[in-house]
Parts: sequence; structure tokens; C-alpha cells
Amino acid sequence: MNTDRTRTRRRRRTRLAVGGFAAMAAITGLAACSSGSSSSSSSTSPTTSAPATSGTASASAAASASPSSSVTVEAGASCASSSAVKITFWAWVPGLGRAVNEFNATHPGICVTQEDVGAGDPEYVAITNALKAGSGAPDVAEVEYDELPSFEITKSVDNLVPYGANNYKNDFVPWAWQEVSQGSAVYAIPGDAGPMAFYYNSALLAKYNISPPTTWAQFATDAATLHKDDPSAYMTNFAATDLQWIMSLMAQDNAWPFTYTGGSNVTIDWTGAAQMAFAQYWQNMLSAHELNSTTDVSATSFADMDKGIDASWLSSAWGPSYFLPDAKSSLGDWRATALPQWTAGADVAANWGGSSYPVFAQSQHPAQAAEFAEWLNATTASWNITKTAPSLLFPTYVPLLNDPSYKDLNNALSGTSDPNVAFTSAASHISSDEWPPFMTEALNEASTVFAGVQNGKETLQAAFTSFQNVLVSYAKAQGFTVNT
Amino acid sequence: MRSSWIHRRDRRGVWFVAPFLLGFVLFMLVPLGYAVYTSLYTYRIIGGTSFTGASNYTATLENGLFWNGVIRVIIFAAIQIPVMLVIAFFFACVFDLGVAKYGTFFRTVFFIPFAVPAVVGAVMWSFLLEPQFGPFTRLASALGFGNTNFFGPNLILPSIIVIVIWEWTGYNMMILYTALKSVPRDVIEAAILDDTPLWKIIVRIKLPLVRPAVVMLIFLNTIGALQLFTEPQILEYFQQGAISVNYTPSYYIYQTAIAADETNLAAAMAVILAVIIVLISALSLIARRRRGEFA
Repeated sequence: MNTDRTRTRRRRRTRLAVGGFAAMAAITGLAACSSGSSSSSSSTSPTTSAPATSGTASASAAASASPSSSVTVEAGASCASSSAVKITFWAWVPGLGRAVNEFNATHPGICVTQEDVGAGDPEYVAITNALKAGSGAPDVAEVEYDELPSFEITKSVDNLVPYGANNYKNDFVPWAWQEVSQGSAVYAIPGDAGPMAFYYNSALLAKYNISPPTTWAQFATDAATLHKDDPSAYMTNFAATDLQWIMSLMAQDNAWPFTYTGGSNVTIDWTGAAQMAFAQYWQNMLSAHELNSTTDVSATSFADMDKGIDASWLSSAWGPSYFLPDAKSSLGDWRATALPQWTAGADVAANWGGSSYPVFAQSQHPAQAAEFAEWLNATTASWNITKTAPSLLFPTYVPLLNDPSYKDLNNALSGTSDPNVAFTSAASHISSDEWPPFMTEALNEASTVFAGVQNGKETLQAAFTSFQNVLVSYAKAQGFTVNT
Repeated sequence: MRSSWIHRRDRRGVWFVAPFLLGFVLFMLVPLGYAVYTSLYTYRIIGGTSFTGASNYTATLENGLFWNGVIRVIIFAAIQIPVMLVIAFFFACVFDLGVAKYGTFFRTVFFIPFAVPAVVGAVMWSFLLEPQFGPFTRLASALGFGNTNFFGPNLILPSIIVIVIWEWTGYNMMILYTALKSVPRDVIEAAILDDTPLWKIIVRIKLPLVRPAVVMLIFLNTIGALQLFTEPQILEYFQQGAISVNYTPSYYIYQTAIAADETNLAAAMAVILAVIIVLISALSLIARRRRGEFA
């Protein structure tokens, strides 16, 4: 049984998608906070089982759950009895404990304990609570790029420059380094990323005599052709409720809706000319029913891809590893090539997902914590572990991106082709995104605001407009000076 | 002599109520007081925490999303409670009449859903109704209803109603059954001797006699419906976007406190929801007092 994808680098992936195991894992966390059930009497009992852990090759010490929470110790359980400096590390990537054990074995003065407190949101909530309480935050944690500014603005994360972070600057693709930097300060070490590519079923496109589109104009034409040839098939799926995915595509279209470089000024622009043109481009195809419209990274979307209903997926580098366990009949047919371009001949890529590793200001041992974060993300020793299953992290670490053997890494989806060629190439053509310091709220509202687009009751333009209003009023209420 | 005896008895009484009082103070009064206190302040990302008086309350009263959620749970209650009570009363009568074989066994079976934690029940039903593989989805398709999405915008509320009815019918049935058992035998016997038809005995005699239990259940269930949280929360895990952030007041309070990190605003919402529930409870007491249930 593959439980890898219950642990994801993307917060919304905790939603039940495949097989329901995600939900089963999620309820262990839910039971604790859902005391108000449908009636006033208490009908929930605390669940004590651990979430499905990666019971894989992980050399981690016993993955035991503490009786009162859903925290799972993934590595370094023996640190309690060690005289070394103790570092607590929160992360959810499966199999990361193997790297932690390697660090502990090679750094006798430091002992890192890795705990999994949940993927994305649950972890951020736990950190935010600990920060408010004044104690209990981890020394180091896995934090997605889009979430990092929320911890920067509250001065909850340490500037790592005094701990030698800049020594590693040239080891990382520039855009990733920029996403963890603010001015001259560096607030985290970049980890994995999700460069995007046009990931397609080559057998299916060949069947309709379509070659992978190089421009978005061609993409739209192909989408119309394909759906006309076979009304039960689509060029791709448009995941209207996946905000991070939509924003990645907006970034590639130079229609990024935020400007934020720290402080109290933020620009929110979902209704500008570029944004509206982006929305209209996709809405035209949605209105013509030329696109599938289901939740992405789900059992449904993977089944649609495998059955030949969706001919392609605008996927990130981590996408294939999520799809692989669900693929049967289309194994061997999948190829990756650069995303279509808005301007013919250009080479603009986009990033979807990925995490960074900040040191929290509550840490009593920031130097050692920073040393661990640097080792985990900026050494070949660590990447040789984390690039393999079950972690399968895609690097922002340049030495690995340039390693020919990494480009040759493959899986059963792609036969003998090398999808990583497209993904690693994309990794160096990405521009940094400026995330506003309230992405948790934005993601949360998005699932409501964009639901109407998915079920065809609202246009993408209308959703962008109401999303603009929601975010502007939230940002103003939070004391920001908002430009639109 | 006598006074010291009373004194000792009083002390013992204190010990008897102490466990309850301790829990009541620690887990009801203190958090309630803290919620009211918190609701008077506002934390902003820029500027930190400041005293803002009633502004969180006026913001909630003017917030259409909050009241949408309140209206939704009222619609939910208006459908779910009558349907559930009719089913519960029907089975309570069946068991009360003793016409069913193995009555005790089936009463237990009917009661089991109540013993299943709401989270588990909701997850189980989500699997049954799941749009891709759920057996009910396949059944609907086999019956010629096409691709039915029980989590779609039109069916999500009925789906929740079904889940909650399943969870709570057994509990309501047991209370009604107990009430029916206390209906005096001689009244029923007299009716039977008068050749009163069975449906008349049930509707004209038994139902009025268990009316206090029915009234109590209506109010208990209404209060429960206003706090609807678990089922929508679980369904959202199964289909992202199926449950809007303001789906029910409790869910909106949770989202406001946790996702938006506006704990102060959420506290004000919670206080307003509590006031609504207190008002309904007060109505219940007045209604029952009028019926002379207690002085």
C-alpha cells in the first residue's frame, strides 16, 4: 500500500484524494478538535492511533504515537538520552527520517529528533499556537515557500546569515534563494521544488494527430480539436479550486496577483488586465466544455488520466510520483516537455509547490539548528537520500539538478523517456514569486470562492473579482496598506 | 448537636458536587469568560493586539456569511429533525407494541450508530457516498439517475441530513421508547376494549402522552443542529470545495479562528452563537413550564 501521497509537500493534498487513506490519517488529527458534533452530547472519542506513517525503507526509530496527539516520531527518538545538543525538527515528507538519522550519525554533537505533526496546515497551526504560547515550537520545520512570509512578518523565524547561510547561496537556483530571502536577510534554506511541465499521454495525442503544443494559442486550438474528435476526452483538466496550481500558471503568464517584499504594504491584483486576460483564456475553454473540471491530484483525476479522458496534466515535477500508483493502462505512455508559451519561442517556466526549512526564533540552539537545515538541503549526502523513494524530492540544489544521472531518473509511467529532462530544465527558467503573508487565509477562502467555477456556476473572471474583494478586505482588517 | 450534624451533611454535599463544579468552572465558565474577554480585543498582523470593544460583535452582526450559515443550519434542522423524529417514533411504537421478534436485539442494533463517534460515522458515510467509487453513487447510476454527485452543490445538504439522521435516530428512538413504556397500561387497555383502531391509539393517545419527550427532543436536536460541525468538516476532506468556509456557524468560527487566525473575531462569533442557543434553550424551558412539566 502506498501511503506516500498522504504526506505531501502541498497542503491541500491532505484532502482525501486517493483511496481515502488521507482522510483516515486526517481524522486522527480531527478527532481532537471536533468536540462539537451534530448534537450537544459528546459523541467523539479521542483517537490515539498514529496517522499512516511511511512504513517504508525508513530507518527511523519506532514510529510511535504519543497517546494524546497525532504526533509521530520519525527519527531521533533516542536523542532524549543523548548528551548532544537536542534539535527538534517538524516535517512530513515520507522517508525524510533516513536523512535525519544520517545527520545524527555524522554529527555527534547534535541530535535531531524529527516529528511529523501533519502535512501543511496542521503543522502551521501547531507552530502558530506554540509561537503564541511562547514555547513549544520546533527548532527547524518544513514550511512551504508560500507560507514562509507569514512567519517572517511576525519575526518568528531567524535570519540565517549569521549562521553562514550565504555560503550556500550559489548552491541553489536563484529563484528559490530569493523566495527564502528578504532584503539581505535569509530566513530559510530552500528544499524541494515543483518545476512545471506539460506532462502528456503521448499515445493519446498521437491518436488525435496532436503534437505537444508549444504555445498556449496552439494549446487552445488542440483542446477544441481533441474534444470535437472525441466528446468524452479532454486536452486536460482545469482544477479551479487548486489556488496554488492556478497561481503557478498565472506566474508563467506574468499575471502574478501580488506584490510583497515585507512590511505593511501589499499589492493585491486579481482584476488587472493581465489577470483578467488569463481568466478569460481559460474560461473560454471551460465555457465550451473543452476542459475536464475536477479536483486535481485526486483519485478521480488520476483515473481520468489513466483511462485516456485527460490527455495531459499541467504537472509539477513531483506530479508523476503521485500519479504512478494509480496508473495501469497508460503506463509507459507519459512524456514531459516544456509548458506551452504565451510568446512563441520564449522559455518561461513556473513552479508549483515545494518547501523551505527555517529556524524558529524560539530555538535555544539556532546555530546547531541552522547547521542541520543547511546540511539537509545543501549537501549531496542528504540529497542522495531524499531524492529516492519514498521521499522523491525534486531539488533546488544545483549540483543535483546538473547531475546527468538525476536527469536519467525514470519510472514506469514514461517508458524509456526521461521526464526529468523537462523538469530540471524548467527549474532554471522560473522567476521568484512574491507571496503575501496571509496565504493560509487565501487558500482557505479559495476553496469556497472557486467552487462555483468547478461546477460551472460561475466564470473564472467572476471568481477572480470576488477573490479580490475577499483578500482586500482581509488585508485591510489585518492592518495592511493595500494597493490594488 | 443538631446544628453540627447539618454542618457535616452540608460539607458532604459539597464533596458530591465538587467533581462536577470543578469541571464546570474549568471547562465551561473559565473558557466562556476568556472568550468574552478575547472578543473585546483584535489582533492584527500589522499593529498587534489592541482593545476594540464591541467592534468584533458589530462585524459579526453585519457579516452576511455568518448569518448565511445560521440560516443553513436552520433549514437543516427544519428538515432533519421532523424526518428523524417520525422515523424514531415509528420504530419506538413498533418495539413498544412488542410485535417485532427479537425486539431487544434490534433495539440495540438501532442504537449502535449513536455509539459510533460522529467522525467515524461521517467518514464511513463519505466512503458510501463518494462520487467515484461509492456504492450509493453506483447504485444511483445503475437505477438510471446518471452520474450522481452526492457531494455536489445540490445534494451536499441532503447527504449531511442523511448522515445525521442515521447517527441520531437510535438515540431519539430510545428516549421515545422509554416514554412510551411509561404510558399507563390501563389507558391503552380501555382503548382496546372500546375497539379503537391501532393507528388511533398511537396517534391520539400515545403521541399526546409522550408529547413532553417529543418537545424535549425537538429542542435538544435544534441545539445540536445549530452546532453542526463534524459532518461538514469530514465531507470537505472528501471533496474539496464542497463545504464553504461559512457552511455552518461552528465551522465558520473554526475557520475564522484557525485558518484566518482571527481568534478575536471568532470568539465574538462564538459568543453570539452561544446567545442564540441560550435563547432557544430558554424558549424550551418556558414551553415545558407552560405545559406544567415542572414548577
